Amino acid sequence: MLLQVRDLHVEFRTHDGVAKAVNGVSYEVDAGETLAVLGESGSGKSVTAQAIMGILDVPPGRITGGEILFQGRDLLQLKEDDRRKVRGAEMAMIFQDALSSLNPVLSVGEQLGEMFVVHRGMSRKDARAKAVELMDRVRIPAAKERVGQYPHQFSGGMRQRIMIAMALALEPALIIADEPTTALDVTVQAQVMDLLAELQQEYHMGLILITHDLGVVADVADRIAVMYAGRIVETAPVHDLYKAPAHPYTRGLLDSIPRLDHKGHELYAIKGLPPNLMAIPPGCAFHPRCPRAQDVCLTDEPPLYAVAEDGARESACHFWRETLRDA
Amino acid sequence: MDLAMSEAETLEKTPGGPLGTGPAGKPRSLWSDAWFQLRRNPVFLVSGLLILFLVVISIWPSLIASGDPLECHLSKAQEGPEPGHPFGYDSQGCDVYTRTVYGARASITVGVCATLGAALLGSLLGGLAGFFGGWWDALLSRIADIFFGIPVILGGLVLLSVVTSTTVWPVVGFIVLLGWPQVSRIARGSVITAKQNDYVQAARALGAGNGRMLLRHVAPNAVAPVIVVATIALGTYIALEATLSFLGVGLRPPTVSWGIDIANAAQSIRNAPHMLLWPAGALSVTVLAFIMLGDAVRDALDPKLR
Repeated sequence: MLLQVRDLHVEFRTHDGVAKAVNGVSYEVDAGETLAVLGESGSGKSVTAQAIMGILDVPPGRITGGEILFQGRDLLQLKEDDRRKVRGAEMAMIFQDALSSLNPVLSVGEQLGEMFVVHRGMSRKDARAKAVELMDRVRIPAAKERVGQYPHQFSGGMRQRIMIAMALALEPALIIADEPTTALDVTVQAQVMDLLAELQQEYHMGLILITHDLGVVADVADRIAVMYAGRIVETAPVHDLYKAPAHPYTRGLLDSIPRLDHKGHELYAIKGLPPNLMAIPPGCAFHPRCPRAQDVCLTDEPPLYAVAEDGARESACHFWRETLRDA
Repeated sequence: MDLAMSEAETLEKTPGGPLGTGPAGKPRSLWSDAWFQLRRNPVFLVSGLLILFLVVISIWPSLIASGDPLECHLSKAQEGPEPGHPFGYDSQGCDVYTRTVYGARASITVGVCATLGAALLGSLLGGLAGFFGGWWDALLSRIADIFFGIPVILGGLVLLSVVTSTTVWPVVGFIVLLGWPQVSRIARGSVITAKQNDYVQAARALGAGNGRMLLRHVAPNAVAPVIVVATIALGTYIALEATLSFLGVGLRPPTVSWGIDIANAAQSIRNAPHMLLWPAGALSVTVLAFIMLGDAVRDALDPKLR
């Protein structure tokens, strides 16, 4: 197994109190596999990713428990200096907004080449040649001419390709893409997603795709983990989850996708607001918004029930059977 | 965000457009873009030429003044202009024109050295405070506050009155000592802003260490406000040197300084106003030139004002 996150806990200490952002998340990704992590803002999906990368802002953030095994090593036990060598070389991250993720005062060639200068000790000239090669790789037209241009001279889609190129530069074993297409036009989204999926297959990398967009996930992901209030509430192979969700929250997410054949009907919305992380509801965190909530949900926190025999599907709902049956 | 995107989009479709690319179609960085703006700004051209002239005469004053500023004839004290001595003579019978030309050297030296010192010290301390935060930041900010609290004139009178050196360095040191907190506050603020940019986080996620992040990603994006403040401060530092010299605690004779000449001339302003006019005029023009330059630089480096 390439990456195993086990029972990860992250909290943020603020003036108003302690926000529990991640509460016992476990997931794993294998080489060549794509795991989609789905959830609303504040569900802890990005914080988990930051903890894996080791770029959590400490303080206020703090990892209070769990382990992150990457190729057998527990990253949380590594010294910061060793950790830094892992970042970029063995695991890399693609951010949401490519314009703000690229340094405006450096040309894209310099920024791409920097990967080789920092990690491989290459000369600037060789690094530039590598940069052109990478830009070709992610299909930026006229790479040779454009390598000296600055980020603002590229379109949104091209910039995201550059970010992908930077992440791929050293052929890492794992890539974490945090909402890689959210800032892009819908038409460009598909192209960038396809490129990412293709390169992932080519390099046989593990990919964690963080998103709140169910549409993006459907084509490229192998498995989905749905997060709510810092916990995983459902994991499933992607097609099983779309066909029949086993958690009312997933059900709600699927129902709130606009559909062509429902034209004229009011769009479904999950009632209520995402939970306050400083005061997560007792029992099942989703119960105040759940149409299926019973008394037991108010008091007992549901464990992850095995939905499929082989453990490929799990759901943290006391009533997963009923949810699955009604799907 | 949308606006920025669509702007970039259009730019891409029009290579050689007005903003993103230079006349030769070569990509332009933030700095070359600022330089392009500056070159077309008349305020910059006027102040730039003036400053160039001042710098040249402060290095080679004999280019335009053949006399010796310390060669004085008491018999000619306070006399008006005559051929070869267009500005007349001062109370000691020294040639006012020669002294005014030679006075530029002290002002420019003090201004440039004090600005460099304050800018380097201030941006180093402020930058580190902003980047690393925590107790280092708290300590440094309080120290800066203490220096902010020292009144300039009173501080100068107290600290510089005990100095006996006749060089410019005590004055430069004093100005650096009082000037760095201003730069350090600006540097701290802009480093904190730059540090929060996504690309710094992205660089970190791709394995950059602290040094590289600070030098390559934070500093280049935080330096513009420091440059602007430093350029404007240069003018005020020159004025401050003249003020201290006027009060008798700045530069000392035999150093030739506009401040000293103004102090001497002030005593006989009613008998011989020409003695005051020239050094005071030169001082005003110099300060004005640097402040204009600072304004032009700010306009070029702060795109929000454009």
